[in-house]
Amino acid sequence: MSKSLVAQLPTGPAEPAQRVPTDWTTGAMQGRIRRRYAAERRFRLMGLAAVTLSAGFLAFLLATMLWQGIGGFTETRVTVPVDLGAAKLAVTPAQLDGRGADLALAGAGLEGIVDTSASRAYGKDGDNLLSGGAWLTVREAIKADPSLLTRRATFDLPVASPIDVAYKGKGAPEAEAMVARLTPRGVLSRSLNTGFLDSADSTDPTRVGIWGAFKGSLLTMLVTLLLAFPIGVLSALYLEEYAPRNRWTDIIEVSINNLAAVPSIIFGLLGLAVFLGTFGLPRSAPIVGGLTLALMTMPVIVIAGRNAIKAVPPSIRDAALGVGASPIQVVFHHVLPLALPGILTGTIIGMARALGETAPLLLIGMRAFIAAPPRGLTDPATVLPVQIFLWSDQVDRGFVEKTSAAIIALLVFLLAMNGLAIYLRNRFETRW
Amino acid sequence: MSNTPPKMTASHVTVHYGTKRAIDDVSIDIDQDEVVAFIGPSGCGKSTFLRTLNRMNDTVASARVEGDIRLDGHDIYAPDMDVVQLRARVGMVFQKPNPFPKSIYENVAYGPRIHGLAQSKSDMDGIVERSLTRAGLWAEVKDRLSDSGTALSGGQQQRLCIARAIAVDPEVILMDEPCSALDPIATAKIEELIHELRGRYAIAIVTHNMQQAARVSQRTAFFHLGTLVEFGRTSDIFTNPRQERTKDYITGRYG
Repeated sequence: MSKSLVAQLPTGPAEPAQRVPTDWTTGAMQGRIRRRYAAERRFRLMGLAAVTLSAGFLAFLLATMLWQGIGGFTETRVTVPVDLGAAKLAVTPAQLDGRGADLALAGAGLEGIVDTSASRAYGKDGDNLLSGGAWLTVREAIKADPSLLTRRATFDLPVASPIDVAYKGKGAPEAEAMVARLTPRGVLSRSLNTGFLDSADSTDPTRVGIWGAFKGSLLTMLVTLLLAFPIGVLSALYLEEYAPRNRWTDIIEVSINNLAAVPSIIFGLLGLAVFLGTFGLPRSAPIVGGLTLALMTMPVIVIAGRNAIKAVPPSIRDAALGVGASPIQVVFHHVLPLALPGILTGTIIGMARALGETAPLLLIGMRAFIAAPPRGLTDPATVLPVQIFLWSDQVDRGFVEKTSAAIIALLVFLLAMNGLAIYLRNRFETRW
Repeated sequence: MSNTPPKMTASHVTVHYGTKRAIDDVSIDIDQDEVVAFIGPSGCGKSTFLRTLNRMNDTVASARVEGDIRLDGHDIYAPDMDVVQLRARVGMVFQKPNPFPKSIYENVAYGPRIHGLAQSKSDMDGIVERSLTRAGLWAEVKDRLSDSGTALSGGQQQRLCIARAIAVDPEVILMDEPCSALDPIATAKIEELIHELRGRYAIAIVTHNMQQAARVSQRTAFFHLGTLVEFGRTSDIFTNPRQERTKDYITGRYG
C-alpha cells in the first residue's frame, strides 16, 4: 500500500455536452401522458369492480343463508285441547316427583291420549298433524303442574315436519291442504324453536338441534388450539432464533411448506391410521378430531410465525443484547411481543380453516349419527360442518332450512372466534 | 493517563467473516478516563472491531475472532466469561437510534430490571432519573415518562439509547457512529454529552466525521482496509500524522 490514497480518487468530470432542452409539448409526449392517466383510471376501475364483485357475492351468500335459515330457528305449533281429567291417567301424584315421572307418564299412555285429542279436534288425520315429540311438551307441562291431570287444558304443540314445511312455504299437496283447512281456524302459530339451540341430531327434522354439533366443534377447536398454537409458535421461534442454517433446517423448512399444502383428507387418513389405529383412541371423539386438525393447522402457524419473527427489526435485538439481555430474554421480552400480532393473524387463518374442515373428520368417524351432545373430549361427537353435510344429504324437506340454520350457526361461531383473535391482536399491537 | 493500566486492551485481533478477512492484526488499548475515536473510510473494519469489544459479533454465525481482548486484564473470549455480564459492563450505542417500542421509563428501566440492579420501585425511579439526567434528557421528558420512546425526535431517541446504556452502570461505552442519523444540533448535544460522560466511563466512538473525532477524543485510531494504519494522540493525528494515508484521509483528499 505504498500507493497514495489520492491516486484512487476519481478524476474530475468530463467536459459537459451541449445541453438540448426537452420539448414537453410534442404530440408524442402529450399522448404518452394521456395514456398514462388512462391506464391509471382503468386500473382503479378494475380494482373497484373486483372489490364490488366480491362484496356482492358475500352479501348474496349471507342474504340467502339468512333468508332460508332463519326459519330453522322457529317452529310451527298447533293448539290442541287435551282433556286429561277425562282420560284418567293411571298416575299417582307421588310418581310425578322424582326420576320415575317420565317413565310413569309414558307407561300410562300419554302419547296415545295426545294423538287421540288431536284427531278429535282436527279430524281423522289429526294424529299425523303432530310432531313425534309433541307429547313430550305435554309431559313436561304435567311435571311442572300436576293439577293438569285433573282438568281439561289446551296446549300449543309442535307440528310434524311436512305441516311445518307447508306452513312456512311450499310443502306436499296433502300437507298444503291440511294447512289451508287449519289456517282459517287460527290454531297454527309460529314460535322460537328453543329445542334447536339445546339438543343434538335426530331423524325427525322438527326435533333436531345444533347444540350437539356446536359443542363438538367447540371441544375440537379447543384441542386444536391448545396443541397447534404452542407447538407452532415454539417451532417457529426455534427455527428462526436458534436453529443453525444448514441442510437439515432447509429440509425441515421445505417439509413444513409442503405440509401446509397437503390436502386435508390426507391428514384424516393419517389421523385414522395413527390416532385410531396405533393409539386406539375412541372413534368420533373431539380429542381425535382436535389432534388431526392440529396437525393440519400447525404448519400454517409455523409459517406465519416465522415470517412475523423475521419481520422484527434486527436493531431491536441488538438493543436488547447491547444492554446485556440473554438470548431467551431477547426472544421473550422483545421478539415475541413484537411478532405476536403476525402470529395471531396466522392462527386466525389456520383455525378458521380447521373450523370449516369436513373431510378429515369424516375419516375418523365423525359422520356418525350422534343424538346426544358430547359431555367430554372422548365422547362421540360431530362438528358443525359435518352436521351441515349430513343434513344436506337428508331426503326430508324439513332438513333444508335446518341445514341453512346450521350454516348460520357455523358462521356465527367463525365470527366469534375471529372477533376474539382480532381483539387480542389489537391489544398486543405495538404502536411504533 | 498512562499511570493506571488500560481499561481494555486488544492485541493482534483478526476477524474473519467466513473466508473474508474483515480486520487484520489490530492492537489498541483504551484507558479508563479517555475517549478513543475510530476513523476510516466505509468498510475499513472499524465497526467490526468495535463490536468485538463486547462480543456483539457472536450473533453473526460466520464471524470468527482471533487475538486477545482483555477487560481489566480478563480475557473476554475466555470460556468462563459470561457474555451477558460482559455486555452489561461494556455498553453499546448504535448507529441508528433503536429505542424499544415501549415507554421512555421502560426503555431505561429494562437493563437494570433484567440484571436485578434495583431493589424497589423507588430505587428504579432513582436509576431512571439519574440515567436520563446524565444523558441530558431528563428535563425534556420528565413529564411524559410513560410516552413511547419511539415518539421522541431522532436526537432525543439517541440520548434515550445512551441513557439506556448507562442505566446498567457500565464501565466502557461503545458508540457506533452515534450521530450519523442526527442533525447538527442533536449532534452537538451528543458531543457535549460525551464530554460530560468522559472520566466516568471509558468511551470508544466510531465516527465518519473527522471534526467530531478531533473535538471529542483524546486518542484516535485510523483504520484502512481492515488494518490499523495509525493510532496516537488525537492532536498528533490531526496536526502531524506519520503516515501518508492518514494525512490524505484527514485532509479530506480521500473518503
